[in-house]
Formats: sequence, structure tokens, C-alpha cells
Amino acid sequence: MKKIYGSVLVVLAVLLGLAACAKDRCTVVLLPDPDGKIGQVHVYNLGGSQVLREPNMATGVASAEEAPRQPEKMTEQELRETFGDALATLPSPPIHFTLYFITGTTKLTDESKELLTQIIPAIEERGSTDVSVVGHTDRVGSREDNYRLGMNRALLVQKILLSLKIAPQFIEVASHGEDNPLVKTADNIPEAKNRRVEVVVR
Amino acid sequence: MKKFSAIIAAAMLLASFSAFAADAPVGSIKAAHGTATIMRNTATIEAKNGARVFQNDLLKTGSDGTLAVVFRDDTLLSLGPDSTVAINEFLFSPAEGKLSIVTRLLRGTAAYMSGIIAKLAPDSVRFETPVASIGIRGTVFAAKVDNPSE
Repeated sequence: MKKIYGSVLVVLAVLLGLAACAKDRCTVVLLPDPDGKIGQVHVYNLGGSQVLREPNMATGVASAEEAPRQPEKMTEQELRETFGDALATLPSPPIHFTLYFITGTTKLTDESKELLTQIIPAIEERGSTDVSVVGHTDRVGSREDNYRLGMNRALLVQKILLSLKIAPQFIEVASHGEDNPLVKTADNIPEAKNRRVEVVVR
Repeated sequence: MKKFSAIIAAAMLLASFSAFAADAPVGSIKAAHGTATIMRNTATIEAKNGARVFQNDLLKTGSDGTLAVVFRDDTLLSLGPDSTVAINEFLFSPAEGKLSIVTRLLRGTAAYMSGIIAKLAPDSVRFETPVASIGIRGTVFAAKVDNPSE
């Protein structure tokens, strides 16, 4: 007898779930990161909230006043049917390159000259039309001089990319001078990790 | 007449100031297919690959369209067909601690992969829909909004 009640309850719950699903104005589903890690999303409104912690778990929301419903797992088929186009359109994440310089100069270190050769294939592979080149310095010297040095480092990298046939309108150049260090230091302290140009290929 | 040109000059000066504040692109378009547009103020611009995206832009796809935005902090946002998303706020100045990304899906489907802002300041990342808000702890998710009038 208990067993029958149990199955009836399960069937009812499923039916209610489907009914709720049909009326939802909004559906949110958590997915694994490209590296397989699982993050968390928190879906909330005036009526309440739900946290999604497991891959393919989804919640629906009927209105701004009604709490998001109990999360349920979405099947691969539902995922494809609902989100196939959006998911297929999600690009791969941008690639970051950090090129280091010899102190006070616009001369690249030998390792960075090596790394530079990987930037063009990365641009070509993802058909990138958006590359930023940002120069940085350590805190040796004045802030104004370092802004200029950062800009000159970025301009050098831009010149190299242009010479390798990257279209000028794809490249954005900027300097953060000494204001955006990787490693925080007191003024006038040399720090090799801060003498850099960061290239982001999007 | 002199007064009139003075007013024009003042207006132009003001316009140039506000243009300066909203000058920096927040990202660029990638993987655009079919009908994909950017609504900026009253202008409608084709969302071609590489087109820059600015704060307050509205991105729209038609029934045959898809597009994606790569934001300056590496956040990725893509739209399926018949979708509209608003870029409400984007601040990315880690050195000054100014970090915020607020996007709003008005209709259709979207996929989202959080970027550097979600790592540095997770509470400053919000994805909104007409009926609920979504807070993000470094992750990928997809969302769908149905328009009740359809």
C-alpha cells in the first residue's frame, strides 16, 4: 500500500513539475566549465532563491513574485533543443600572453622573443579581430616616464604584430605605466614581473 | 545668432564629455551569423565580427541569427536566435578596484561564461532576466526567457 502511494506521489510530482515548466518565463541551467570544473549560480527574485551546484541542474521561474522552483536535472536532449544554438555560438576563451622586458628598456627577454612566435598562430586559429596590447613597467623612475616606457613597449609589440601582417584595425594599444603591477612593490623597487606587455587575443 | 552658436558650442562640449566617459569599448562581436544587430541610442548597426560593443548597447538576433560578445574581462556571452540582451553596465579597472558587469536577457536564449570580474569581485557580476536575477560564482550557464506576449 505504502509503495503505491509512493508511486502516485512521484507521478504527481512529475506532473506538477511539467506543469510548472510549461508556465516558466525563465529557465536557467548550470553547465560545466571547459576544464570540467563546476561553478555555482544563484537564481533569485522577490519570491525566493535557488542555488544550482551540479552540472545540467536547471530551475524555472514563473514570475518575478514566485520563487524559482526546485532544481531538476535537464536531459542532454532538452539541453540541445533549448540551448543548442546559443551553446554552439559560445567562443573559446581569450588567450593571454605576457611578454617581459629588460629593465628600463624596450628590449624583450629571450624567453619572451620565443613566446612572441606563438601569438600569430593564436590570432589565426581563432580568426581574431580583437587583440589588445597593454604595456606595463615596474616602479623604478617617475610615473610619467613609466607611462611613456609602457607605451613604447606596447608600440614595439604592435610594430612586430603589424610586420607579421596583422591588420592595424584589429590591434588596440595602451599603457598602464607603473599603475597596474602584477607584483605590488614600494616606489623605485625593480621588479622583473612588472616589466611586461600583456597581449590578449580574443 | 551669437547666442545660438554659443549654445551649440556648449552642447557640443557636453556631448564630447559624455562621449569620453562611454568611449571605451566593453567588448567585441564574434561568431555572428544571420540577422544580428546592435542597437545604439537610435541607430541600428549590423553586428559584424569584430564590431566593438559599448555600454548600453542592445544586441539582437533574428530568427536565423546568432552572435557572441567577448568582453574585455574575458566574459563570454552568446545568443541563440530571436534573442535580445542589454549591456547595462561594464566597469573593468582592476587597478582602481572598479569592477562590475551587469547584462540583461530580455528574450530568447543565451549562454554565459564568466571572466576575470567574476574571479576578482563575484558580487559585482549580475545577469538579469525580467523575472529573476542570477548571481555567478565562476562558471558557465545558459538561460532562456519567454516573452509572454508571444
